[in-house]
Amino acid sequence: MSLSRRQLLLGAAVGATGAVVHEDVDAAPLQPSATEAMAKPPFEVIALSRMAYGALSGDYARVRTMGLTAYVDEQLNPNFAADTDCNTRIANAKLRIVYAAGTGFPAVDEMRGLDTLNKTQPELWELRVHPSNTERIRPVDEVVAANWIRAIYSKWQLFEIMTDFWHNHFNVWAYSDTRISALWPHYDKTVIRANCFGNFRDFLESVATSPAMLYYLDNSTSRDGPANENFARELFELHTFGSQNYLNNIYDNWQEVPRDNQGRPIGYIDQDVYEAARAFTGWTVADGVGGIPNTGVFHYVDTWNDNAQKIVLANFLNANAGPQVHGKAVLDLVAKHPATIRNICTKLCRRLVSDNPPKSLVDKAVAVWTANYDAPDQIKKTIRAILLAPEFLATWGGKIRRPNEVVAAYLRSTGAEVKPTAELFSWITICGYRMFNWATPTGHPDESGYWSSSNALLNTWNLLFHLQQAYFPPATFDLQGQMPSSVTTVRQIVDYWVMRMLGYQPSALVKTKLLNLMGQAGNLDAVPVGSANDVKLRLSSLVHMIGMLPEFYTR
Amino acid sequence: MEITRRQFVVGCSTAIAAMAGGRLGGLAFAEPGDIQRDIMVVVFLRGGCDGLGIVSPLDDANFQAARNTITFPNTGTGAGLELGQMGSVPFWLHPKAAAFKELFDSQDLAFIHASGLTNGTRSHFDAMDFMERGTPDNKSTSTGWLTRHMAATSPDGVVPIMSTGSALPASLLGSPNAVTISNVQRYAMQGYGTYGAQQQAALNEIYTKTGSMLDAPATRLLSSIAAVKARNPANPYVPITTYPAGGLSDSLKAIAQMIKLDVGLQVATLDFGGWDTHESQVPILGNQLDVLTRSLHAFYNDLVDYHSKLTIVVMSEFGRRLKANRSAGTDHGHGNLAMVLGGNVNGGRIFGRWPGLANVDLDHGVDLAITTDYRTILSEIVVRRLRNNRLGLVFPQISQYQPLGLVRGTDMAIDWSSGFRSYLPMARR
Repeated sequence: MSLSRRQLLLGAAVGATGAVVHEDVDAAPLQPSATEAMAKPPFEVIALSRMAYGALSGDYARVRTMGLTAYVDEQLNPNFAADTDCNTRIANAKLRIVYAAGTGFPAVDEMRGLDTLNKTQPELWELRVHPSNTERIRPVDEVVAANWIRAIYSKWQLFEIMTDFWHNHFNVWAYSDTRISALWPHYDKTVIRANCFGNFRDFLESVATSPAMLYYLDNSTSRDGPANENFARELFELHTFGSQNYLNNIYDNWQEVPRDNQGRPIGYIDQDVYEAARAFTGWTVADGVGGIPNTGVFHYVDTWNDNAQKIVLANFLNANAGPQVHGKAVLDLVAKHPATIRNICTKLCRRLVSDNPPKSLVDKAVAVWTANYDAPDQIKKTIRAILLAPEFLATWGGKIRRPNEVVAAYLRSTGAEVKPTAELFSWITICGYRMFNWATPTGHPDESGYWSSSNALLNTWNLLFHLQQAYFPPATFDLQGQMPSSVTTVRQIVDYWVMRMLGYQPSALVKTKLLNLMGQAGNLDAVPVGSANDVKLRLSSLVHMIGMLPEFYTR
Repeated sequence: MEITRRQFVVGCSTAIAAMAGGRLGGLAFAEPGDIQRDIMVVVFLRGGCDGLGIVSPLDDANFQAARNTITFPNTGTGAGLELGQMGSVPFWLHPKAAAFKELFDSQDLAFIHASGLTNGTRSHFDAMDFMERGTPDNKSTSTGWLTRHMAATSPDGVVPIMSTGSALPASLLGSPNAVTISNVQRYAMQGYGTYGAQQQAALNEIYTKTGSMLDAPATRLLSSIAAVKARNPANPYVPITTYPAGGLSDSLKAIAQMIKLDVGLQVATLDFGGWDTHESQVPILGNQLDVLTRSLHAFYNDLVDYHSKLTIVVMSEFGRRLKANRSAGTDHGHGNLAMVLGGNVNGGRIFGRWPGLANVDLDHGVDLAITTDYRTILSEIVVRRLRNNRLGLVFPQISQYQPLGLVRGTDMAIDWSSGFRSYLPMARR
């Protein structure tokens, strides 16, 4: 494989940036990187761009002081009760709800709290039959709002990054069905967040028995003769093995599948999907139909179950094994398979490090994952191994931020005051990130090529502009007010926002462009020329410009 | 003069062209005669559309036995629409696809049944990848089939390829010049007057030199924004037909507008999802077809003056299981239906060879077999309409050119050489 231009350029730049970069603008000198190419940033920038949605004011200095290991361990052991600011913001948040009157319900237009987040499952289940569709999908909007608040204000940034990862790994289209939307706070909290740093086998069963997934992939109606294959297919292809381990050319000849040195088939075939689908027949939701309880929780209907013998991954599951036994056996088989372990570990490294993570890093993750297969904190231990491996800091430039990450980092690093609103949600959707609204079970792609489309770039850049405007409700900016009184000249202003938003100096070319934008024809070591309003527009343009830089996009 | 609907479908109505010209006066506008190359629009139905349930052999006893709970009748309320025979087997079109019946009867629309990806994958995502990269069995190919087609045609337009989704499909993987435009009016950068212009100029320079993975995409974005802006697109776009509401129509309108803007568009792609009918197929499929066929009908008529240069292909990753499941849906299958619409299509026919639905005729005993490789369909359009003879580059794994007679046009001596590297200096991944 030939080295790409990017890798070559970064390789050349790494040696040139050994200098310690100070966030404090009074500390001199600030040396831009010598080349026009992006430089490799200091470790705290790498850490905060991958383990967090960017840096709040002071974050770069704090992480630099505490060191990577302490920061990783802090982030892996969240104390949610201590996240006072974030918790208060969620408790006080108001999200507008508006709909016209309809049969049996009046018109509503009010600012309402995120009330469904604290509702019990039976209370949420009742919402699915609310006469207003807006009320039926309201719980999803509230989780979206809460997750935006957490992305921007939570102290436990890594937990939020991983919550987003697992929501995409076990993707459910929350708006596709009002039974799913009504229960959405439950899926977010008791399935995704509860298992985020936990044990994968437990996680898998929690997902497989969640009403959200049972409805989304149709297993709730799967019964003997013929079974619905939707969930079983994606269980193999997306939740565990990955399609790279799908041996479709073998189709149904399970005896022909090559074995590994422990006698296990090396991949899965269509017949495994068909057999697994039979194993999950009768795994449904208690929806009150046909004499079963009406509680909205997982329910097993034995009379729907195909209880005959099955062959899954060359394992015989004997007939009449008992309630749910075959389904759980399938979960055991797929969760423990080495192909699954490598697939999940690769995905973790792709999220936390780069699009094409080094094999040596994936190998380390696989080793920790495997050694802790039964541990209640298997996922946490694996993440720790990835973040503290030398490869974590040795790689840079192999991934860009997705639109939601760009926007969150922009809001965090500019100290914006954020109140999530429908405008923010719909704009992010236009940019391509459809939080809980991604239709296919793949979840959002995690490779930069997808996020480099002209649509994603342009709309995200434009959103960064809109966010600063008075007409755009979700955020309020006070750029001038945040600058220390010592920051007065063009050069100081540019350096201040460069260090707040990037945490290190960009290339000389970029620096020149930023100085020209802020300074125009004036002296760079004097206060900016022009009227107060003109200077305000240029300061706004400067911050917008930094948000569009390759340095800001790289993670 | 009252224009009948039928004329509108097929005719190159000067009255309508004049009307459109009047309404859109003063704007840069491509005269249909200015367009040198044919335009291909590729509509991908994501999720595996149930071709068996769209163009159905209702008389077939095997079909009836497997599908009686989820199909439409051939008489009475909600009856299917007769399409004639494929071989000796009569077929009916789904009643919710009535807008397509009109295009079929006017001989602008052809169906190709029992077609698709011969690789036996039942995975959506693998099947789409194989098809769109144009290399079944190999999903590590670094370019899409449309990328390679465009590389061979040396496009000279300012926006030769567009996609309307959030991102490019795999068929445009590695393309150095494809852009995504979902809204032509909004295809401009926001900023404060002069300072905005300075930002744009600075980004133009910065993104040629950073070595970041965004260099090429950002450069492409900035140059295409300038090209679109120079043509002063109508705000808002005023089509000459009424499209149904919805995202599919919005995408089609963006393509129609770009075609009329004369930016050298040769290929446009768009996605329409929601076809994965594992459950409750009857209402879902009916609604999908209603939206698809009415939207494409409006699009086709909106481009009434461009019919002689326009070919629209509608494809999906696979068909669905013959036998319905107990959720009143169908699971992933194999052979499927493809559709081709355009002014040079030999429409009004169902092409291909019907393999039959008896157990022995089915793929693995369960799914419709494939008798026409999807690349056969695309190859004919590439050669006869898009005038590209480099099939060895576009579809490196095929070695025969066997046109079905789907479209009019002369054949060419096929160049079977591959070696696309020389055409693609920026091959990525």
